[in-house]
Amino acid sequence: MKNTGLNHSVLLLLLLFGLGSCGVSNVVIDGSFPTPNINKMPIAIAVYYDDALKDFAYLEYSETGKEEYNIESGKSHVQLFNVVLPAMFDRVVFVNSMEEVPTLGVDAVFAPAIEEFQLALPAKTKLDVFEVWIKYNMRLLTPDGDYIADWVLTSYGKTPTETFRSIEAAINDAAVVALRDLASSLALSFNQVPEVRDWLNSR
Amino acid sequence: MNLYSLSKLSGIRRLLLAMLALLASCTSTTIDEFRQGETGIGSAETVVVLGRRQASDYETRAEFVSCVGERMGRGENALQIVPEQEFVDAMFPWFEPRTAPLRTRDLERLMAENMVAEKMLDFGVRYIVWLDGHTETTDRSGSISCTIGPGGAGCFGFGSWEDDANFDARIWDVASMTSVGTISTDATGQSYLPALIIPIPLIARVEANACSRLADQLKSFVNGS
Repeated sequence: MKNTGLNHSVLLLLLLFGLGSCGVSNVVIDGSFPTPNINKMPIAIAVYYDDALKDFAYLEYSETGKEEYNIESGKSHVQLFNVVLPAMFDRVVFVNSMEEVPTLGVDAVFAPAIEEFQLALPAKTKLDVFEVWIKYNMRLLTPDGDYIADWVLTSYGKTPTETFRSIEAAINDAAVVALRDLASSLALSFNQVPEVRDWLNSR
Repeated sequence: MNLYSLSKLSGIRRLLLAMLALLASCTSTTIDEFRQGETGIGSAETVVVLGRRQASDYETRAEFVSCVGERMGRGENALQIVPEQEFVDAMFPWFEPRTAPLRTRDLERLMAENMVAEKMLDFGVRYIVWLDGHTETTDRSGSISCTIGPGGAGCFGFGSWEDDANFDARIWDVASMTSVGTISTDATGQSYLPALIIPIPLIARVEANACSRLADQLKSFVNGS
Protein backbone atom coordinates (compact mmCIF):
# COMPACT_ATOMS: atom_id res chain seq x y z
CA MET A 1 0.00 0.00 0.00
CA LYS A 2 2.81 2.38 1.01
CA ASN A 3 4.69 1.49 -2.18
CA THR A 4 1.71 2.37 -4.34
CA GLY A 5 1.46 5.77 -2.63
CA LEU A 6 5.16 6.36 -3.22
CA ASN A 7 4.87 5.33 -6.87
CA HIS A 8 1.99 7.75 -7.35
CA SER A 9 4.01 10.59 -5.80
CA VAL A 10 7.00 9.84 -8.03
CA LEU A 11 4.73 9.67 -11.08
CA LEU A 12 3.10 12.98 -10.16
CA LEU A 13 6.49 14.64 -9.68
CA LEU A 14 7.71 13.34 -13.04
CA LEU A 15 4.52 14.60 -14.67
CA LEU A 16 4.93 18.03 -13.08
CA PHE A 17 8.59 18.12 -14.12
CA GLY A 18 7.59 17.18 -17.67
CA LEU A 19 4.92 19.87 -17.78
CA GLY A 20 7.27 22.42 -16.22
CA SER A 21 9.91 21.86 -18.85
CA CYS A 22 7.30 22.46 -21.59
CA GLY A 23 6.11 25.84 -20.24
CA VAL A 24 7.04 29.34 -21.19
CA SER A 25 9.90 30.90 -19.26
CA ASN A 26 9.09 34.27 -17.70
CA VAL A 27 11.76 37.00 -17.70
CA VAL A 28 11.02 40.23 -15.84
CA ILE A 29 13.62 42.81 -16.90
CA ASP A 30 15.39 44.20 -13.88
CA GLY A 31 18.20 46.74 -13.90
CA SER A 32 19.39 49.99 -12.42
CA PHE A 33 19.74 53.10 -14.53
CA PRO A 34 22.04 56.02 -13.70
CA THR A 35 20.98 59.65 -13.96
CA PRO A 36 22.29 61.24 -17.19
CA ASN A 37 24.91 63.99 -16.93
CA ILE A 38 23.32 66.50 -19.30
CA ASN A 39 22.15 70.10 -19.17
CA LYS A 40 18.45 70.49 -18.38
CA MET A 41 16.20 72.10 -20.97
CA PRO A 42 14.24 75.05 -19.55
CA ILE A 43 10.80 73.54 -20.19
CA ALA A 44 8.04 71.94 -18.12
CA ILE A 45 6.86 68.55 -19.36
CA ALA A 46 3.97 66.28 -18.41
CA VAL A 47 4.71 62.58 -18.94
CA TYR A 48 2.00 60.08 -19.78
CA TYR A 49 2.58 56.31 -19.90
CA ASP A 50 -0.29 54.37 -21.41
CA ASP A 51 -1.18 50.84 -20.25
CA ALA A 52 0.42 49.31 -23.35
CA LEU A 53 3.79 50.70 -22.23
CA LYS A 54 3.35 50.00 -18.50
CA ASP A 55 2.36 46.36 -19.14
CA PHE A 56 4.56 45.73 -22.15
CA ALA A 57 5.57 42.10 -22.62
CA TYR A 58 7.11 40.31 -25.58
CA LEU A 59 6.62 36.64 -26.33
CA GLU A 60 9.45 34.81 -28.11
CA TYR A 61 8.52 31.61 -29.96
CA SER A 62 10.79 28.64 -30.60
CA GLU A 63 11.51 27.47 -34.16
CA THR A 64 8.71 24.91 -33.80
CA GLY A 65 6.23 27.66 -32.88
CA LYS A 66 6.06 26.97 -29.14
CA GLU A 67 6.00 29.85 -26.66
CA GLU A 68 9.53 30.01 -25.26
CA TYR A 69 10.21 33.26 -23.35
CA ASN A 70 7.82 35.89 -22.06
CA ILE A 71 9.83 39.08 -21.54
CA GLU A 72 8.15 41.67 -19.33
CA SER A 73 9.84 45.05 -19.73
CA GLY A 74 7.00 47.54 -19.04
CA LYS A 75 8.02 48.28 -15.43
CA SER A 76 11.69 48.73 -16.29
CA HIS A 77 10.79 51.12 -19.13
CA VAL A 78 8.76 53.25 -16.70
CA GLN A 79 11.62 53.08 -14.17
CA LEU A 80 14.07 54.23 -16.87
CA PHE A 81 11.93 57.15 -18.08
CA ASN A 82 11.36 58.22 -14.45
CA VAL A 83 15.14 58.58 -14.05
CA VAL A 84 16.00 60.08 -17.45
CA LEU A 85 13.24 62.66 -17.99
CA PRO A 86 13.75 64.67 -14.74
CA ALA A 87 17.43 64.99 -15.76
CA MET A 88 16.43 66.34 -19.20
CA PHE A 89 13.81 68.96 -18.27
CA ASP A 90 13.44 71.71 -15.67
CA ARG A 91 10.07 70.43 -14.45
CA VAL A 92 8.51 67.01 -14.98
CA VAL A 93 4.99 66.00 -13.89
CA PHE A 94 3.85 62.40 -14.25
CA VAL A 95 0.15 62.10 -15.10
CA ASN A 96 -2.27 59.18 -15.08
CA SER A 97 -4.51 60.56 -17.84
CA MET A 98 -4.34 63.19 -20.57
CA GLU A 99 -7.32 64.98 -18.97
CA GLU A 100 -5.11 66.11 -16.06
CA VAL A 101 -2.68 67.97 -18.35
CA PRO A 102 -4.44 71.32 -19.14
CA THR A 103 -4.55 72.32 -15.44
CA LEU A 104 -0.84 71.67 -14.80
CA GLY A 105 0.67 74.64 -16.65
CA VAL A 106 3.20 72.54 -18.56
CA ASP A 107 4.68 73.37 -21.98
CA ALA A 108 4.20 69.93 -23.54
CA VAL A 109 3.29 66.31 -22.94
CA PHE A 110 5.73 63.47 -23.59
CA ALA A 111 4.12 60.10 -24.40
CA PRO A 112 6.48 57.24 -25.32
CA ALA A 113 5.27 54.00 -26.91
CA ILE A 114 6.97 50.70 -27.77
CA GLU A 115 6.31 49.68 -31.37
CA GLU A 116 8.42 46.59 -31.75
CA PHE A 117 10.63 44.30 -29.69
CA GLN A 118 13.03 41.73 -31.14
CA LEU A 119 15.18 39.14 -29.47
CA ALA A 120 18.05 37.22 -31.08
CA LEU A 121 19.26 34.11 -29.29
CA PRO A 122 22.66 32.46 -29.99
CA ALA A 123 20.89 29.15 -30.72
CA LYS A 124 19.19 30.81 -33.68
CA THR A 125 21.80 33.32 -34.90
CA LYS A 126 24.84 31.07 -34.26
CA LEU A 127 26.64 34.11 -32.82
CA ASP A 128 28.09 34.17 -29.31
CA VAL A 129 25.86 37.06 -28.25
CA PHE A 130 22.31 37.62 -27.02
CA GLU A 131 20.73 40.65 -28.72
CA VAL A 132 17.71 42.83 -27.98
CA TRP A 133 16.37 45.44 -30.39
CA ILE A 134 13.51 47.79 -29.51
CA LYS A 135 11.69 50.31 -31.70
CA TYR A 136 9.88 53.22 -30.05
CA ASN A 137 7.45 55.86 -31.16
CA MET A 138 8.13 59.03 -29.19
CA ARG A 139 5.39 61.63 -29.15
CA LEU A 140 5.54 65.23 -27.98
CA LEU A 141 2.13 66.89 -27.72
CA THR A 142 0.77 70.29 -26.78
CA PRO A 143 -1.21 70.41 -23.48
CA ASP A 144 -4.34 70.33 -25.68
CA GLY A 145 -3.27 67.07 -27.29
CA ASP A 146 -2.07 68.36 -30.70
CA TYR A 147 1.13 66.91 -32.14
CA ILE A 148 4.39 68.84 -31.83
CA ALA A 149 6.61 65.97 -32.88
CA ASP A 150 6.33 62.26 -33.52
CA TRP A 151 9.54 60.35 -34.16
CA VAL A 152 10.99 56.85 -34.18
CA LEU A 153 13.85 55.86 -31.90
CA THR A 154 15.58 52.48 -31.88
CA SER A 155 17.72 50.95 -29.17
CA TYR A 156 20.02 47.95 -29.23
CA GLY A 157 21.70 45.87 -26.56
CA LYS A 158 23.84 42.77 -26.61
CA THR A 159 25.66 40.59 -24.13
CA PRO A 160 28.11 37.73 -24.74
CA THR A 161 27.32 34.09 -23.94
CA GLU A 162 28.85 32.84 -20.71
CA THR A 163 29.23 29.30 -19.41
CA PHE A 164 27.59 29.66 -16.02
CA ARG A 165 24.85 32.15 -16.87
CA SER A 166 21.25 31.19 -17.59
CA ILE A 167 19.52 32.24 -20.82
CA GLU A 168 17.05 34.28 -18.74
CA ALA A 169 19.88 36.24 -17.07
CA ALA A 170 21.54 36.86 -20.45
CA ILE A 171 18.25 38.14 -21.95
CA ASN A 172 17.88 40.46 -18.95
CA ASP A 173 21.44 41.80 -19.37
CA ALA A 174 20.96 42.42 -23.12
CA ALA A 175 17.63 44.20 -22.45
CA VAL A 176 19.23 46.41 -19.76
CA VAL A 177 21.95 47.41 -22.26
CA ALA A 178 19.20 48.23 -24.80
CA LEU A 179 17.37 50.34 -22.20
CA ARG A 180 20.56 52.26 -21.40
CA ASP A 181 20.99 52.78 -25.14
CA LEU A 182 17.47 54.20 -25.29
CA ALA A 183 18.26 56.55 -22.40
CA SER A 184 21.44 57.82 -24.04
CA SER A 185 19.79 58.29 -27.45
CA LEU A 186 16.80 60.09 -25.99
CA ALA A 187 18.87 62.32 -23.73
CA LEU A 188 21.37 63.31 -26.43
CA SER A 189 19.15 63.49 -29.50
CA PHE A 190 15.88 64.97 -28.14
CA ASN A 191 16.61 68.55 -29.18
CA GLN A 192 18.01 67.43 -32.54
CA VAL A 193 14.68 66.04 -33.77
CA PRO A 194 13.73 68.66 -36.44
CA GLU A 195 10.16 69.23 -35.17
CA VAL A 196 11.31 69.44 -31.55
CA ARG A 197 14.12 71.82 -32.49
CA ASP A 198 11.68 74.06 -34.40
CA TRP A 199 9.27 74.02 -31.46
CA LEU A 200 12.05 74.87 -28.97
CA ASN A 201 13.26 77.72 -31.22
CA SER A 202 9.75 79.13 -31.61
CA ARG A 203 9.23 79.44 -27.86
CA MET B 1 38.83 -8.48 -13.66
CA ASN B 2 41.48 -9.42 -11.06
CA LEU B 3 43.35 -7.14 -8.65
CA TYR B 4 46.44 -6.99 -10.89
CA SER B 5 44.47 -5.78 -13.93
CA LEU B 6 42.71 -3.18 -11.81
CA SER B 7 45.94 -1.69 -10.46
CA LYS B 8 47.43 -1.75 -14.00
CA LEU B 9 44.44 0.19 -15.34
CA SER B 10 44.73 2.68 -12.50
CA GLY B 11 48.46 3.13 -13.24
CA ILE B 12 47.82 3.77 -16.94
CA ARG B 13 45.11 6.26 -16.02
CA ARG B 14 47.45 8.15 -13.69
CA LEU B 15 50.18 8.25 -16.35
CA LEU B 16 47.72 9.49 -18.96
CA LEU B 17 46.45 12.19 -16.61
CA ALA B 18 49.96 13.34 -15.71
CA MET B 19 50.85 13.58 -19.42
CA LEU B 20 47.71 15.53 -20.19
CA ALA B 21 48.23 17.85 -17.23
CA LEU B 22 51.67 18.67 -18.61
CA LEU B 23 50.24 19.33 -22.06
CA ALA B 24 47.40 21.43 -20.65
CA SER B 25 49.81 23.84 -19.03
CA CYS B 26 51.25 24.69 -22.46
CA THR B 27 49.78 28.09 -23.19
CA SER B 28 51.79 30.46 -25.36
CA THR B 29 51.35 34.22 -25.10
CA THR B 30 52.78 36.89 -27.41
CA ILE B 31 52.83 40.55 -26.46
CA ASP B 32 53.41 43.35 -28.97
CA GLU B 33 53.98 46.93 -27.83
CA PHE B 34 53.80 50.04 -30.01
CA ARG B 35 54.70 53.28 -28.27
CA GLN B 36 53.65 56.63 -29.73
CA GLY B 37 54.44 58.97 -26.85
CA GLU B 38 56.05 59.45 -23.46
CA THR B 39 54.15 58.19 -20.41
CA GLY B 40 54.27 58.58 -16.65
CA ILE B 41 51.73 58.98 -13.88
CA GLY B 42 51.44 61.05 -10.69
CA SER B 43 50.45 59.61 -7.32
CA ALA B 44 47.03 61.33 -7.39
CA GLU B 45 46.27 60.28 -10.96
CA THR B 46 44.19 57.24 -11.94
CA VAL B 47 43.71 54.92 -14.89
CA VAL B 48 40.38 53.64 -16.20
CA VAL B 49 40.21 50.39 -18.18
CA LEU B 50 37.20 50.17 -20.52
CA GLY B 51 35.96 47.49 -22.91
CA ARG B 52 35.08 48.26 -26.52
CA ARG B 53 31.58 47.04 -27.34
CA GLN B 54 31.09 48.23 -30.91
CA ALA B 55 31.79 44.99 -32.82
CA SER B 56 28.72 43.28 -34.21
CA ASP B 57 29.68 39.64 -33.70
CA TYR B 58 31.50 39.68 -30.36
CA GLU B 59 31.84 41.76 -27.25
CA THR B 60 34.83 42.43 -25.01
CA ARG B 61 33.82 40.63 -21.82
CA ALA B 62 33.43 42.78 -18.70
CA GLU B 63 35.18 40.00 -16.68
CA PHE B 64 38.32 40.33 -18.81
CA VAL B 65 38.27 44.12 -18.44
CA SER B 66 37.94 43.87 -14.64
CA CYS B 67 40.66 41.16 -14.53
CA VAL B 68 43.13 43.49 -16.31
CA GLY B 69 42.12 46.42 -14.09
CA GLU B 70 42.47 44.41 -10.86
CA ARG B 71 45.89 43.12 -11.85
CA MET B 72 47.14 46.60 -12.76
CA GLY B 73 46.10 47.74 -9.29
CA ARG B 74 48.15 45.04 -7.50
CA GLY B 75 51.81 44.37 -6.79
CA GLU B 76 54.88 46.49 -7.41
CA ASN B 77 54.22 49.89 -9.08
CA ALA B 78 50.47 49.34 -8.61
CA LEU B 79 48.24 51.92 -10.26
CA GLN B 80 45.01 53.44 -9.00
CA ILE B 81 42.31 51.93 -11.19
CA VAL B 82 38.77 53.25 -11.53
CA PRO B 83 36.36 50.28 -11.93
CA GLU B 84 34.73 50.20 -15.37
CA GLN B 85 31.08 50.09 -14.26
CA GLU B 86 31.55 52.86 -11.69
CA PHE B 87 33.14 55.10 -14.34
CA VAL B 88 30.58 54.34 -17.08
CA ASP B 89 27.66 54.91 -14.67
CA ALA B 90 29.11 58.18 -13.39
CA MET B 91 29.72 59.38 -16.97
CA PHE B 92 26.31 58.22 -18.24
CA PRO B 93 25.37 58.61 -21.13
CA TRP B 94 28.75 59.54 -22.63
CA PHE B 95 30.58 56.18 -22.48
CA GLU B 96 27.80 53.85 -23.68
CA PRO B 97 28.50 51.56 -26.69
CA ARG B 98 26.80 54.02 -29.06
CA THR B 99 28.23 57.23 -27.60
CA ALA B 100 31.74 56.31 -26.40
CA PRO B 101 34.57 58.19 -28.16
CA LEU B 102 36.20 56.08 -30.87
CA ARG B 103 39.12 58.42 -31.59
CA THR B 104 41.06 60.92 -29.49
CA ARG B 105 39.41 63.70 -31.55
CA ASP B 106 36.05 62.50 -30.17
CA LEU B 107 37.50 62.62 -26.65
CA GLU B 108 38.50 66.22 -27.26
CA ARG B 109 34.92 67.05 -28.28
CA LEU B 110 33.60 65.17 -25.26
CA MET B 111 35.87 67.04 -22.86
CA ALA B 112 34.34 70.29 -24.11
CA GLU B 113 31.20 69.26 -22.17
CA ASN B 114 31.63 70.81 -18.72
CA MET B 115 29.91 67.92 -16.91
CA VAL B 116 32.21 65.35 -18.53
CA ALA B 117 35.36 67.38 -17.84
CA GLU B 118 34.35 67.87 -14.19
CA LYS B 119 33.67 64.16 -13.65
CA MET B 120 36.95 63.25 -15.31
CA LEU B 121 38.72 65.66 -12.96
CA ASP B 122 36.86 64.19 -9.93
CA PHE B 123 38.11 60.71 -10.83
CA GLY B 124 41.60 62.06 -11.52
CA VAL B 125 41.76 60.09 -14.77
CA ARG B 126 45.10 60.47 -16.55
CA TYR B 127 44.89 57.46 -18.89
CA ILE B 128 42.02 55.65 -20.56
CA VAL B 129 42.85 52.09 -21.64
CA TRP B 130 40.49 50.70 -24.29
CA LEU B 131 40.43 46.90 -24.44
CA ASP B 132 39.08 45.25 -27.57
CA GLY B 133 39.04 41.54 -28.31
CA HIS B 134 37.68 38.14 -27.48
CA THR B 135 38.58 34.49 -27.05
CA GLU B 136 37.70 32.08 -29.83
CA THR B 137 37.45 28.31 -29.49
CA THR B 138 38.61 26.34 -32.53
CA ASP B 139 39.70 22.84 -33.56
CA ARG B 140 37.21 20.91 -31.46
CA SER B 141 37.84 17.20 -31.85
CA GLY B 142 37.07 13.86 -30.21
CA SER B 143 33.91 12.61 -28.58
CA ILE B 144 32.73 11.50 -25.17
CA SER B 145 29.81 9.20 -24.51
CA CYS B 146 28.16 8.76 -21.15
CA THR B 147 25.80 6.00 -20.08
CA ILE B 148 23.61 5.50 -17.05
CA GLY B 149 22.19 2.18 -15.92
CA PRO B 150 20.97 0.34 -12.81
CA GLY B 151 24.58 -0.63 -11.97
CA GLY B 152 25.92 2.95 -12.13
CA ALA B 153 27.01 5.60 -14.59
CA GLY B 154 30.17 6.43 -16.46
CA CYS B 155 31.72 8.25 -19.38
CA PHE B 156 34.33 7.19 -21.88
CA GLY B 157 36.11 9.12 -24.58
CA PHE B 158 38.39 12.04 -25.25
CA GLY B 159 37.79 15.61 -26.36
CA SER B 160 40.13 18.48 -27.09
CA TRP B 161 39.90 22.06 -28.33
CA GLU B 162 42.07 25.12 -28.83
CA ASP B 163 41.41 28.55 -27.33
CA ASP B 164 42.80 31.67 -28.98
CA ALA B 165 42.58 34.96 -27.08
CA ASN B 166 43.30 38.15 -29.03
CA PHE B 167 43.13 41.48 -27.25
CA ASP B 168 44.31 44.99 -28.15
CA ALA B 169 44.80 47.72 -25.55
CA ARG B 170 44.88 51.32 -26.78
CA ILE B 171 46.15 53.84 -24.27
CA TRP B 172 44.90 57.43 -24.39
CA ASP B 173 46.52 60.21 -22.42
CA VAL B 174 43.67 62.41 -21.12
CA ALA B 175 46.07 65.27 -20.29
CA SER B 176 47.34 65.63 -23.89
CA MET B 177 44.26 64.02 -25.50
CA THR B 178 46.48 61.83 -27.67
CA SER B 179 46.94 58.13 -28.19
CA VAL B 180 50.23 57.15 -26.55
CA GLY B 181 50.43 53.53 -27.60
CA THR B 182 48.93 50.14 -28.35
CA ILE B 183 49.66 46.79 -26.73
CA SER B 184 48.45 43.62 -28.42
CA THR B 185 48.30 40.21 -26.85
CA ASP B 186 47.72 36.84 -28.47
CA ALA B 187 47.46 33.77 -26.26
CA THR B 188 46.74 30.24 -27.46
CA GLY B 189 46.39 26.98 -25.60
CA GLN B 190 45.05 23.46 -26.01
CA SER B 191 42.51 22.03 -23.54
CA TYR B 192 41.75 18.34 -23.04
CA LEU B 193 38.83 16.42 -21.61
CA PRO B 194 39.65 12.74 -21.09
CA ALA B 195 36.92 10.58 -19.64
CA LEU B 196 37.59 7.22 -17.99
CA ILE B 197 34.41 6.70 -15.96
CA ILE B 198 34.51 10.35 -14.88
CA PRO B 199 35.44 13.25 -17.21
CA ILE B 200 38.54 15.15 -16.07
CA PRO B 201 38.79 18.62 -17.61
CA LEU B 202 42.34 19.88 -18.20
CA ILE B 203 41.69 23.44 -19.21
CA ALA B 204 44.35 25.76 -20.62
CA ARG B 205 43.99 29.12 -18.84
CA VAL B 206 44.33 31.10 -22.05
CA GLU B 207 42.30 34.19 -21.15
CA ALA B 208 43.76 34.30 -17.62
CA ASN B 209 47.28 34.24 -19.09
CA ALA B 210 46.37 36.95 -21.62
CA CYS B 211 44.97 39.03 -18.76
CA SER B 212 48.02 38.76 -16.51
CA ARG B 213 50.60 39.36 -19.27
CA LEU B 214 48.67 42.30 -20.73
CA ALA B 215 48.09 43.87 -17.30
CA ASP B 216 51.81 43.62 -16.38
CA GLN B 217 52.81 45.16 -19.72
CA LEU B 218 50.23 47.96 -19.36
CA LYS B 219 51.44 48.71 -15.84
CA SER B 220 55.04 49.19 -16.95
CA PHE B 221 53.91 51.11 -20.06
CA VAL B 222 51.85 53.61 -18.04
CA ASN B 223 54.63 53.98 -15.45
CA GLY B 224 56.95 54.84 -18.30
CA SER B 225 59.44 52.09 -17.50
